[in-house]
This record gives sequence, C-alpha cells and structure tokens, in this order.
Amino acid sequence: MSGGLKRFLNDNKQLLIMIGVIAGMFIILSLTVNNFCTVRNLTNLLQQIAPIAIMSAGATYVLVIGGMDISNPAVMAAAAVVGVYYMTTLGGNLVAGAFVILLTAAFMGLINGFAIAKLKMVPMVVTLSMMTVGTGLATILSGTRGLPTLPAEFSDFLNKYTVIVILLAVVIILDFILVRTKFGRMLYYIGNNAKTARISGIDSEKITMITYTISGLCAGIAAVINTASIATARANMGPQSQILDIISAAVIGGVNPNGGSGRVRDAALGAVLIVGLTNVMNLLGVSDYYTTMVKGAIVIGAMGIASFRVHLAAKKGA
Amino acid sequence: MGEQLSLEFKNISKTFPGVKALSNVSFKAQPGKVCGLVGVNGAGKSTLMNILGGIHQPDEGGEILISGQRVVIEDPKAATRNGIAFIQQEVQAFDTMTVYENILASDLDKWCKKKSLILDRSAMKAEAQKYLDAMDSRIDVETPVYTLTVGDKQIIQIARALSQGGRILLFDEPTASLSDHEVAMLFEVIRKLKAQGYIIFYISHFLDEIFEMCDNIVVLRDGRVVGEAGISDINKEKLVEMMLGYQLEGSAHTRKTELGDVIFQAEHISGEKLPKDFSFALHKGEILGVWGLLGSGRSELFNTILGIDKMVEGKLLFSRNGTLAEITQGEFYKHIGYLTEGRHYDGLFLNMPIGQNITSSNLDEFSTRGLGILNTAKEHEEARRLMKEVNVKAVDENMKVSKLSGGNQQKVIIAKWFLKDPEILFMDEPTKGVDVGAKNEIKELIFQKAENGTSFVVISSELEEIMSLCDRIIVIYEGRLVGEVEKADFSKENLMKGIVSQEEGR
Repeated sequence: MSGGLKRFLNDNKQLLIMIGVIAGMFIILSLTVNNFCTVRNLTNLLQQIAPIAIMSAGATYVLVIGGMDISNPAVMAAAAVVGVYYMTTLGGNLVAGAFVILLTAAFMGLINGFAIAKLKMVPMVVTLSMMTVGTGLATILSGTRGLPTLPAEFSDFLNKYTVIVILLAVVIILDFILVRTKFGRMLYYIGNNAKTARISGIDSEKITMITYTISGLCAGIAAVINTASIATARANMGPQSQILDIISAAVIGGVNPNGGSGRVRDAALGAVLIVGLTNVMNLLGVSDYYTTMVKGAIVIGAMGIASFRVHLAAKKGA
Repeated sequence: MGEQLSLEFKNISKTFPGVKALSNVSFKAQPGKVCGLVGVNGAGKSTLMNILGGIHQPDEGGEILISGQRVVIEDPKAATRNGIAFIQQEVQAFDTMTVYENILASDLDKWCKKKSLILDRSAMKAEAQKYLDAMDSRIDVETPVYTLTVGDKQIIQIARALSQGGRILLFDEPTASLSDHEVAMLFEVIRKLKAQGYIIFYISHFLDEIFEMCDNIVVLRDGRVVGEAGISDINKEKLVEMMLGYQLEGSAHTRKTELGDVIFQAEHISGEKLPKDFSFALHKGEILGVWGLLGSGRSELFNTILGIDKMVEGKLLFSRNGTLAEITQGEFYKHIGYLTEGRHYDGLFLNMPIGQNITSSNLDEFSTRGLGILNTAKEHEEARRLMKEVNVKAVDENMKVSKLSGGNQQKVIIAKWFLKDPEILFMDEPTKGVDVGAKNEIKELIFQKAENGTSFVVISSELEEIMSLCDRIIVIYEGRLVGEVEKADFSKENLMKGIVSQEEGR
C-alpha cells in the first residue's frame, strides 16, 4: 500500500507542513515561556484564536470560488452591535439576541453575494463598500456613550470551553461540506473555471450567493463569541486590519488566493499560527507595528512559496 | 541573408522522469524551404520545439547547429538572440496599443531619443513599416490592434518576430483561428518569407495545409524521426501511416438510415446579434451537422439555444413521452450535453483531476439526496469506467487534466457527457486540435452513441469530417438557415449552394 501512503502524503502535504510548524512553535514556547503549557493558558489561547479561525473558514469558502470578502471584521462588529442593541436597549431575550447577531451578519453576506453574483459587481469593491457600511452602522447604533453591558448569563454560557466546542464544530462541519458534499465540490469547480462550471450545468450565481452568505454567517458566529468575551459590543471590535489576519490565515493554510483549491481545516491551522504568532510577539514586548509588518511579510512569503511550487510543478510536468 | 543560414539537429534526446520524449532526433532544415513537422499528439513535436525555444534542455550529447556553429540555447532569450522566433496559434498582442508599438514592443530601449526616455515615434513607425512592407501587408502602422482581424494580428506577430532579428520562424498551428480568406493571406506571406531565405517550420494537424505549404516534411513518432521526404515524394495515405505506425482503416460503421421520431425542435431562434430566426428539427438517434463559414453564427446558435447567450426570440420543443411540448431553457439543459469549441476556455477544469472533470456533469449520481454527501469511492469507480470506455490514455483518474494531450483532453470532455448520458449532445468542433488517431476514435464514439439512441448536433468546419459523420447537414449563413442537405446529396457544391445564392442576392 505504499502507493496509498504516497497519495495520502501528497493530498495532505499542507496539513502536515502546518502541523509541523505549529508543533515546532509549541515546543519552543513550552520550553522558553513559563506557564505556557498549562490548560489555562492553552484554552485562553484557543478562545482568542476562535473568532479569527472561524472567519478564515468563511474566507476559505469565498477564496475557493475565486472571490474576495474584506468586509468580514466590519460585518462582525455591525452584527454584534445590532444584537447587543436588541438585547439591551430594546430589552430582547439573550437567545434571540444571539440569533439576531447571526441573521444580521448572514444578511449582510447575502447582500454581498447578490451584488457580486446577480449584479456582476467586482467582489473587492462590493465588500469594501460593505465594510464601510458595517462600520458606519456599528458606530451609529452604539452611540457616543457606547452600549450597556450584557447580563452575566450571556458570557457565562459562552465561556471559553463552549467557544472551543463551537470552534471545533464550525471547522469540522465547514471542512466536511467543502470536501465531501456536492455543494462543496461545486465551489471548487467554480473557482477552477467558472465558464466550464456553467457549461457543466452548475448554477454558479446561486452558489456564489450562498458562499458569501456563509462568509457573513461565519462573521456572525465570530461576533457572538466576541460579544460574549467583552460582555457588550463596540464599533471598534472588528478593526479593519483584522482582515489581514483572516486572509493570511487562509493563505498560509494553502488556500489558493486565485481560487480552486484549499481547505477549511488548513486555514484554521493557519489562524492558529497567525494568532499564536501575534500572541508570542506581544509576550516578547514587540510593538504592534512590527507585528503587523512581520505578518504581512509572512503572507507574501507563503504566497511566494506557493507560486514557486506551481512553477516547479509546471516545469517538471511539461 | 549573409552567409549560408542553416539549422541542424544532431542526436537530440530528451528524457523526462519516466518518459523518453525524444531519442536521437537528427535532421537538417534548409533556408528558403518550408519544413513541415508532423506527428500525432505526444510524438515529440512540442518537446523538440521547446528545446529549440530554450524552454527545455536536451540530454547530454545532443547538439543544435545554426549555420554550422554549435549553439546552446539555455533560455527563451537565448533563442531570440539566435534568431529563433515562434508564431503561436493564440495571437498575443497589446490590444489597445498601435500596430507599430506592438511590432517593436520587445526592445523599446533602442527607440529612445538620445539620452532620454522619450520614444522616437517617427523612427519607430518607419521601422515597423519596413517589416510590413517585406510582407506586402497594407496594415496601417498607426491603427490600434484591437480593430484588426485575427489574421492581421498574426501578421503583426510575424513582423514582431522579424524585428527581433528572427531568421528561423516556427509556425505552430497558425491557422487554427483563421478564416479561409485569412489562411490564404497567411500562406502568401509565408511564401514571401520563404523566397527571402528564411528557415520556416510549419506545424499543423491539417494535412491539407502541410501539402499546400511545405517543401519537405519530417515525421516524428514516439520521439523518433520515422521519415523525411520531399512533399512531391509522398501522399496523404502514406503520411498518415507514417504518423500512426499503422494503416488507418476506414470507418466500419454503416449508419442505418431510418431514424426515430423528432425529439427536439428549435423554432424561430433569434439571439441579440446571431442567429436570426433559425428553426430546425432533430430526430432520435440522428447526427445532424451544422455547417457554415467562420463567423456565420454557428457557435452562437448553440449558445443561444442553450441559454448561454440571451435568446431574444424563439421557443424550444422537446419530446419526453412521444409528444413534443414546449420546454424552458433551464429544463432543457438537464437533457443535453454541450462540448464547446474552446477546450481550455470553457470545457475543462484544467487544474483538477481527470476523475472530477468527468463527474462534474452529473454529481447527483454520486451524492445523497438531502445533504448531498459525495460517495467518492463510487465516483472514482465511474470515472475509471468512462476513461476506459472512451479510451483516455493516462496514469489514473487522479492525474491533472492539464497534463494530458489535446486528444485525451477532448476525450475527457466526451467522457464527462457520456456519464450524464443525455438525450441530445451538442458538439462544437469535436475534433479541433486533435491528431488523426484520436479524431477517428472520437468519430467512432459518436457513431456508437448515436446507434444507442442519443441524438447529436455537430458543428465542424472540416467538410470531409462533417460529411462522413452526419446523416443530414443544415447550412448557416449570417445567422440564418440557408440550406439543408440529405446524406445522399452530400457534396461541397450542394453545401455551398445556399451560401452562394445569398452572396449573389446582395
């Protein structure tokens, strides 16, 4: 069965690389940082990773069809503010409030999808506009004095263990859908060649709309988690620079920014790497400016390696 | 042209991991002659040209001599330096720029006014004009390239090659996207270049062109030179036999003439430009040919019927239980397969495995009803079955489609639609860019499928092919139906009749 093993290694190259790098980082940190390898610290770390990892799962879907969604952090903040506004100022129920957050975000994603699929607008422009709309909406609703704090039940229920369960569930489900279902396969077809997909009888308009809606929904899940961790919502909870973390996580995870390939599982590990790195640099007292620079450089590096590999493969296979 | 120009390959071999693409290729090309390079897909033509172009390096021991001097072509730039130029089938041009800017695009440094970054445009125009004059072309150097026809763009490409000092010109399937008139024009240009002493290589799948253009031919098979001959010393049958290594048998199929009932009827189909008010009927098990000149609206007819382009007017009738009833385009698409003209453009998912390409037409067969979970084991099994059925030559179904030859890629698309097994298959140039061997296999597949009751509508610009394949041919001209010819009356004259009467009627 050496052929089967070879195939497995080849199919999961990205996963193995990611696991290797993360394991390396983990070992170094355990040896150098006091109290790193404690349940408390690791679960805290996972809680921080969760929102980015979940949004990068959504970004993976969008990137696979060859699209782009930079509105994610703004949609997250807007949905959180709408939900908290509903729960506090309007006195709504907490469970219903969580659903308000999810629905708001999904709806904003649907608008993105509609503009891109039906009106044939450029993804970058559409989602850039949605970003400013989201930020504006969040700022207006939270007002000058900010929104009140939520009752403790909300944060108590969505504690870090629940968050970790949500994270794992989202990654596993979205990865399964992408790789093992008809819907997921169609995303790869569209990303690979949208024209061929159309000729093959695939309704790419509908699929594109659903994809952007899923991306919005992921921002909504992240919004619920973030809301629980600060017990309220603020317009600045989704800074625009966060989109860099989200896209980098996916790209480092081997998702092709030109569409057609990539997995949610690997993008989530990319998020572990990116957020982990940010964390370590914070611990080491490195300034935020440097951290951002390093992250940008890593993305360019990862993409460079990826295109170099494609180049090599082309040369070998000709 | 200075001292005697010549090009000689000596013992060129090329080994790729696991494959010997070329072994001991040796031959000499003469100036002022057109040398045809022929062979089926995978024979080694591309590898040889890639070696000449500096994309691949030959194995130890191989030599390339230009005018008697040994040259090492380590990269494409070195090829240009040595006067080697490629004229590709896909015309590469800067569309929004002018003709002269396109011709001289590769070394703008030369055209700067002294010690400045400003281009000397009048000198550039004069220089560009010189190359156009050499070909007796009347293209205006100042027109933007996007206003030109494909044929003219190709002339620009040749002029660019000449301006870079090209002395060895390689034409790789140059006529693939040209109309008859443009082909004639191109041939005229090639003859002029030949007379001026250039070395010209001509690669084409169209054997008629080889016989018309070339002075001598080199036949490659399995990476070896299996024959060299002057064009007058060889005939078509002999050439095909050399290319394939065996004799090509005529089709064993005799098509039964009785056809089923009408399964599909297109009524008064009009698109935004073409076609115009086009109607036809298709019978069960029939192979219907659509013939017309380039630009007559053949592909547009398919695209309009199938809803890829907008249908402005018209309706579709489809028979499900023996009665014809109107059907929407969306619903109709579920009953058809569509092999488009552009394999790479909208026919394949190039970076995906063969298997996933084949199953893309009918994922429902492999997925559960509610959640659509894929049964990948069954998917692989079916893909393998179809690859066998249509004889795709590949390692396995996990190979990327981009690594296959043109003929095998085309078979993958056919396998994809055979998997769906639709009632009607629309095929636009099913054998375009495919070698002689695969061409015959594809024809055979169409015959078999039609025998089992599938109906075909086939576009082909090759007269011989469409006449041997089809039961009936309809003729399209400027988007209109201008003729219909039954099998018994097939001849070039009868097909042209409708077109000629239209032209005269103006």
